[in-house]
Formats: sequence, C-alpha cells, structure tokens
Amino acid sequence: MTRKISIDPITRLEGHGKIEIFLDDSGAVEDTFFQIPELRGFERFVVGRPIEELPRIVTRICGVCPASHHMASAKAVDGCFGGEVAPLAHKLRDMYYHAHYIHSHIAHFYALAAPDFVLGPDADPATRNVLGVVHKVGLEIGGAVIKSRGQAQEIQRIIGGRNTQDIWCLPGGVAKGLKPEELAEFRPWVDELYDFTQFSLQLFRDVVLANETYVDIIVNGPYTLDVHNMGLVDDNNAPNFYDGKVRVVDFEGNEICKYAANDYADNIAEHVEDWTYLKFPYLKQRGWKGFHEGIDSSLYCASPLSRLNVADRMATPKAQEGYDEMFKTLGGHPTKALLANHWARLVEMVQNAEMLKQYCEDPEITGDNFRVIPQRVTGEGVGIVEAMRGTLTHHYTCDANAICTSANLIVGTTNNNAPIHMVTKKIASALIQPGKDPDQGILNMIEMGFRAFDPCYSCATHSLPGQMPLEVRVHRSGQITHHFKRGC
Amino acid sequence: MTDITDTAKKLLIGMGNPILSDDAIGIRLATEFKERLGERPGLDIVEECCVGGLNLLDLVTGYERLIVVDSIKTINGVPGTWYRFDASSLRETMNLNNVHDTNFATALEFGRHLGMVVPTDTENHIFAVEIEDNINFSDQMTPALEAAYPDLVKEIFVEIERLLDS
Repeated sequence: MTRKISIDPITRLEGHGKIEIFLDDSGAVEDTFFQIPELRGFERFVVGRPIEELPRIVTRICGVCPASHHMASAKAVDGCFGGEVAPLAHKLRDMYYHAHYIHSHIAHFYALAAPDFVLGPDADPATRNVLGVVHKVGLEIGGAVIKSRGQAQEIQRIIGGRNTQDIWCLPGGVAKGLKPEELAEFRPWVDELYDFTQFSLQLFRDVVLANETYVDIIVNGPYTLDVHNMGLVDDNNAPNFYDGKVRVVDFEGNEICKYAANDYADNIAEHVEDWTYLKFPYLKQRGWKGFHEGIDSSLYCASPLSRLNVADRMATPKAQEGYDEMFKTLGGHPTKALLANHWARLVEMVQNAEMLKQYCEDPEITGDNFRVIPQRVTGEGVGIVEAMRGTLTHHYTCDANAICTSANLIVGTTNNNAPIHMVTKKIASALIQPGKDPDQGILNMIEMGFRAFDPCYSCATHSLPGQMPLEVRVHRSGQITHHFKRGC
Repeated sequence: MTDITDTAKKLLIGMGNPILSDDAIGIRLATEFKERLGERPGLDIVEECCVGGLNLLDLVTGYERLIVVDSIKTINGVPGTWYRFDASSLRETMNLNNVHDTNFATALEFGRHLGMVVPTDTENHIFAVEIEDNINFSDQMTPALEAAYPDLVKEIFVEIERLLDS
C-alpha cells in the first residue's frame, strides 16, 4: 500500500506550505506535492481603482520586495498612459533598484544562505542562523553586514523618499529627483558597498570554495534540474534588473526565445493543478508537458542563477570577473547547480555596486527633468522587472478614464513553482530509499533546496514563518512510524 | 517586565497589511491609539509596519521598550480574542516572521551581539489579536472582527497605557 510522509511546516498558523511525500510499496519515493494556499483577490481588489494608484497599492502585497512590485507596477502604468517616461526617471529608478538589490541580497546571503556553508548543512538547527555565522566568522563581520545593509537601504530611501510602501513612481517618471546634497551624502557609502561586495565574494571563496565537500554538494548533490532559464537582459545580453527584454535560454546555452514585456502573454502561460492554488508558469510555445526535465521541457527557473545563465556577459567589469570565475569553477556556462544561486547573488551585488558608482558620476543624475506628464490614456501596459527572486510581470488594462479594468501578476516565486516542486522530489528520492529511512537531516536538505530559490510566498501565496518550521510524519498502514519536527 | 528609566524611549508598532482583510487589525489599533492617546514624551508610534527580520531591527534600534500590535491565527481560535506574550514567543504572530530574512527574535539577538540598543526580550510586549481572514485582499475587516473591535480598543489600550506609564 502507499505510505504517506507529511511535512507540515506550520501547525498553528494559517496559510502554511505543506509537502506530501508518497512512498511506493518498496519504500521508494513515488511522488511529492508542494502545496501553498494562495492569497486571493488582489487582481479583483484593484479593479475599479484609478490606475495611477496601483504602484502605491501593490507595495502592500508583500513586505519583502515592495520595491520590485512598485517598479513593475510603475512600468505597467507608464504603458497605460502611452509609455513615455523621462529618461532621467529611468536612470533614477534603476539606481534606486540597485540599492534595493544590494540590501536584499546581503540579508539573504548572510541570514539564510551563509549558515548552510559557514556552519555546514548538518549544523545543529539551533545554531544554524546568522548568530551562528557571526560566532564563527567574528563580530566584526556581523557589524559590517549590518552597516552595509543599512547603507544600501538608506541610499534607497534617499533616492525614493521611503524604505517601504513606496509612493515615488508616477506615470511618466518619479515624484522627486535626486538633489546634489543628497548624492553627496551617500556617495562615500557607495564605495564602501563596493568594497563589501568584494569582501563577500572573498568570504565565499574562503569558506565555500576552499571546502571540497561544499563544492561537491553544489555541483553533484540532488540540487540540479534539467530545466531552462529566464532573466531580463539589456541589448548586449547582460543582466538588467530594471528593464530590457526577457531572455529564455535552455540548460545547454541555446536561446529559446527573447521577448519584450508587451509580448509576455505570447510566450508564457500558466498551468493549474487541482492540488495547489499556486499556478505553474511554462513556455507557451512548447505547451505544458508536465513536471518534465529535459531539453524539450517547457519549464524554467527564474532566479539569480538563471539571470546569469541567460546572460552572455555582465554589464560591469568586476562583476564580469566574478561571472567568469563562477562558471569556470562550475564547469562552464550555463550551469544547472541550483545552490550556485547563492554565489550568483554575490556576483549580482558586484554589478549593483558598480552601477551605483557609475550613476554617482553621471552629471545628469541630479537633474530636474524627472517626469513627463502623460497626455493620453492608451489603456494597457505590461511592466517587467527582475525581483530578487525572479522575473516579475504586472499586466494592467484600464478604461478611457484610466480606471483599472483588469490586472494580472506573475511573481518571481511563481515562476519557480514547478522547479521547487521538482527539486523537492529529487531531494526526497535521494534521502528516502528502500531500506533507508528518513532522519532529521531531511528537514535541512529540503530547506536548502527552498533557500536556493529565496522563495517568497508573501505575494506568490501566503507568508511562511522565518525559521521554516518543518514537521515530518512517516505513515505506514495508518501508523506514524517516524516523526521529526523543528520550530513547530 | 524589567525596570526601565522614565526617560527610556518606547516604540509602539502596528503590524500588518491594511488591504488584507483582518490583517489590518494591528494597524487600526495603533492608528487609533496614536490619535487618542499617543501624545506622550518618549513615545514614538509607527502605525503601519509590514516588515520583519533585519528591517525590523533597524526600526527598533535605540528603543528600550517595544509594544507591538499584530494579528494571529490559531487552530479553533475565536476572532476577536487577544493574547499577550513576549519575544520568546514571537513566531506565533503572522507578521513578525519573514522567510526571506531572519526572524525578529534572531534579529534582536543579533543586534544585542553587535552592541546595539534594542529592547530586551522581556521588554518586547506583543498583543496579538485572533483573526478570521488574512487570505483575501480587502480594505474591510470581517464582520466578526469589526464587532469585536470596540472591546479590543478598550481592553488592549488599557494594557498599553499601563506599559507606557510604568
């Protein structure tokens, strides 16, 4: 008979993710299901509201990446008003977004990713956190993390006026420009941030790359998938987080498609399964083929690693060095090693810091022409940016009075729904085999798979608690034979 | 609760999302408290806060006493019931956790390790209101929570005032 393993992360909170692992008669993994209850009604909530209000409303979808929603929404609203945007506004938005990327990536790397490598995947869960990292690498580094993260966040606040729940972007531009004295205030911090990105890469080399076991886990563990990659690129096929075209490249490096934001619906479709509220985006031209790996798969990842996998190069010189080193170490470009997402974040941070430096030297950046007043309503717009955790699409329509008539969002984590589901099955299959019962280690191994994608269900679905409480129950013939849990 | 000085800085935060049905409860309570009773020396009020982890650490640095009003959803919980606990139980609430970041309890400990002035665990006072719906986007709370709101104001405000006056 089929035996059932339940991983129930949250027993006392609403809106929990749940992993069901089904074993066949031999004790091998037959299938897994990763289920998340979805937040409901956002698209309906915004219908009937003035379209220019949406960039302010969408920041309340999610407390983790409000700036990403603000940017994607602003671009979609720009489209609804004809698409004309002051060139300086594009620069300021991009500059702001680089600062946002830096503090987000710092938080993820040091608070969530580093514990796996600095302390090791088998570390006591009680110490596997940022405190454990600081204990091991030193208080001074902890202070640098806080300082650098704070500087990046303050740069974002100075440029955009607020840290969260932004109200900065308006149709055709932004509400405020950057004053020379504001630029002077944070200019020294940009150099310090650049140095911190270099320090972080060196820390990764010293702690992770110097450890053969860790490199082996990255390259040869169950954390690989034969699915494709998605990311925004500029005209030179270098990563661009704020604007550009969406490029999809297969896991052998061949371009599958490259499309402008307005053409997203011709290229991406969403599959629905009856066991989860969260949809499964796929490449529309290939059709839904199920949770299938292979060169003909219609599935893709949209993540920091995907962004580097679809890029032919980085946009800045030091980031290019990081890109070259990463892919050389991992055996070539592109790579399927999902845990390299953590490394990719550090390479991206270098580009973010270098771009900030470039903008600081741009004589136009403190100019006054930061908005074009829209003169017409054209009724439809699509905005795409790279949220930290994947490609984020906002699509709106409005009537002649600029009242919203429809909205559709494909958020970063939703893109990765199928890959997360599939890698969970891979990990479970590697750890649970006939005659080999699961143990407590399954919790962190599965968590490591999640963390590679930096999933955020605050907007994709519902928020999960910070320490990812996990509960594993092994059922055999109606009896619970194994019971592991953490944080719940 | 520990003894803190009369001049200690205190912070009141309304946690939640104003457009996610009952998740707005913490924001509504903090906003009303500020309007009616918020003018006190040494007290700062952030009526609307939806961040967690290290972002929240930024917010609370420099304060010795923290009062959070948040939402909670428990199995078989009755909407409008409220609970009070301290930092050791932070993960019980919806909004003080963040899967993308560290949780707030860890962030506080991290801050203490680095010598930052943050409230001690016993100076983190969390009021969590049992809610019915935080799944559907709406700028209205559910009827059950709306009906309970006047009593929540009376009961929780008394407790908050005690904390501010002690």
